[in-house]
Amino acid sequence: MDLFDNLLLGLSTALELNNLGLCLLGVLIGTAIGVLPGIGPIPTVALLLPFTFGLSPPGAMIMLAGIFYGAQYGGSTTAILVNVPGETSSVVTCLDGHEMAKQGKAGTALAIAAIASFFAGTMATVVIALLSVPLSVLALKFTAVEYFSLLVLGLIAAVVLAHGSVAKSLAMVLLGLLLGLVGIDVSSGAARMTFGIPELSDGLDFVPIAMGLFGLGEIIANLERPAERRVVSQKVRDLIPSRVDLRAAFPAVLRGTALGSVLGVLPGGGAALPPFSSYALEKKLAKDPSRFGKGAIEGVAGPEAANNAGAQTSFIPLLTLGIPANALMALMIGALMMQGIQPGPQIMTEQPKLVWGVIASMWVGNLMLLVINLPLIGLWVSMLKIPYRLLFPAIVLFCCIGTYGIANNLFNVWLMLGCAGIGYFFIKIGVEPAPLLLGLVLGPQLEENFRRAMLLSDGNFAVFLSRPISAILLGVTAVMLLAMLSPTILRSRKVALAEES
Amino acid sequence: MTRSRIDWRDLLFGLFLVAVAAGTLVATRNLNVGHAADMGAGYMPRVVSLALLAFGLFFCARSFWRAGLLRARPVQAMLPIEPVQLRPLLAVLGAVGVFALTAEKLGLAIASVVTVILASYATREGRLRETVPFALLLSGAAVLLFIKVLALPVPVWPR
Repeated sequence: MDLFDNLLLGLSTALELNNLGLCLLGVLIGTAIGVLPGIGPIPTVALLLPFTFGLSPPGAMIMLAGIFYGAQYGGSTTAILVNVPGETSSVVTCLDGHEMAKQGKAGTALAIAAIASFFAGTMATVVIALLSVPLSVLALKFTAVEYFSLLVLGLIAAVVLAHGSVAKSLAMVLLGLLLGLVGIDVSSGAARMTFGIPELSDGLDFVPIAMGLFGLGEIIANLERPAERRVVSQKVRDLIPSRVDLRAAFPAVLRGTALGSVLGVLPGGGAALPPFSSYALEKKLAKDPSRFGKGAIEGVAGPEAANNAGAQTSFIPLLTLGIPANALMALMIGALMMQGIQPGPQIMTEQPKLVWGVIASMWVGNLMLLVINLPLIGLWVSMLKIPYRLLFPAIVLFCCIGTYGIANNLFNVWLMLGCAGIGYFFIKIGVEPAPLLLGLVLGPQLEENFRRAMLLSDGNFAVFLSRPISAILLGVTAVMLLAMLSPTILRSRKVALAEES
Repeated sequence: MTRSRIDWRDLLFGLFLVAVAAGTLVATRNLNVGHAADMGAGYMPRVVSLALLAFGLFFCARSFWRAGLLRARPVQAMLPIEPVQLRPLLAVLGAVGVFALTAEKLGLAIASVVTVILASYATREGRLRETVPFALLLSGAAVLLFIKVLALPVPVWPR
């Protein structure tokens, strides 16, 4: 069967010695930044991108993917032990996880979180493997027309389903598209918006933009808030959960995995939606909802499973169609392009080793997390003792060196400086910068496919509606946008997303 | 506290978009626009910046309109913009600027030390006694990691 051949190919790639090493490195870095509040996976991946040049494409993707799901994992460790969510995705884990720790069951909570994550990771890997085959068959029917519509759908969906004002996010997507247009126009050779700067002729690098907007802008805003003091003093015992605990947690893990897998595929869902939804579901299903918030084991198991499943299935749109579901996946697309691989519907058939290698590596990486993380908990907790006043100058320095490393010139450092200022401005006025990154990364492809489609149809815009697949994709987009105008949906969206923030 | 009559968040974002769109329209005015079947280099920039302009004007208009609505029915107060603190802003941006100015001339070792020390001024908690050794340590680590291991082509010492 095809599926098994594919998985075998993937496993053989993932188990190559250097890929195993990169996977381990990725999950370790990921866990570390997951533990440290104030540094998210987006700036970290952006920072490490320039140094993945020398790696093979599967190796680079395996490592970067490891950072992403490793961070989800690390975030929950600190959420349980010190009530500090390392990442937004682990905010809910604080509720019951930290409560369990206070009752002296920190070990159980950590173990359940780890086991739930591993189980969800394993199931999500299977889901990815199963879903990607039919999607890639569909993708073969795509021409420029369909791909353009798909890109539009991806961009709009990511905006509608993510949090923040829809109108502002749409404006940010356009801003990103505009930035993506900078450089020499491929078909005419004319310089666009380069202002005579030679470094701009190849277009703007997205790494300095991502690091400025997400990394440095965030740091400046963080520093304005008064420093929080954290007390870390937890003894962790009983790392093996009892049979009773396991039995109580298992149904929650199953439901969390299913919910997370579905929500993860949706564009814009990001990292926060699955765990919150799962927590709400568990609370609703529980016989005694009042236990939640007081150390209910389901309140840890469900969200942790959903979190990890969602993190992994968010790779599905990327690996099969070349559409990023969120800003982090947009960076992954950037990583592919740096490796000279054009992301798009053809990626599965042209790069099977890469796609299946990454899928299989997720399972391997989750196994590594399970094995290495519990013994290393002491190390992760001690990392929390590093004060922010020492942490942030180090991040600033590494951002500078990292951006310099992309093209070995200082122009990118200046660009990052400008973006840091703009990123700070965006935070101040409450605008989410993630859509900009999506627009920036997808912009060039959007223009190219639009031009090609227009060339094919002789300038007739009706072509997007006369082809069935394209018409369906645009129809879904239109429905989504119209739904945003409906007051009831608007209200419930506000409620659902308010819980997140 | 008197409530602002204008939604400053909307207004500032709107003005920012209008400025970007106007700048783009000026910068790309000489590019060939062409038409849908045969697009020139200027087609997409024109379309995107016109859309941005529309969004910008919309936010500007909404900032006044919405403020009027809220005054009539002040259920939900507009979120004010928190005051800008110059210290972290200038220290972090300055640190990046100093790195850009010094890295190629003075070498990574010195640039790193200066960058870290300047950045640490972003908080009042920084103590030179702590920051200087830490900066030296980081500089050493950066040289080892980026130049020796990752072979970044930047000088270690002044040329």
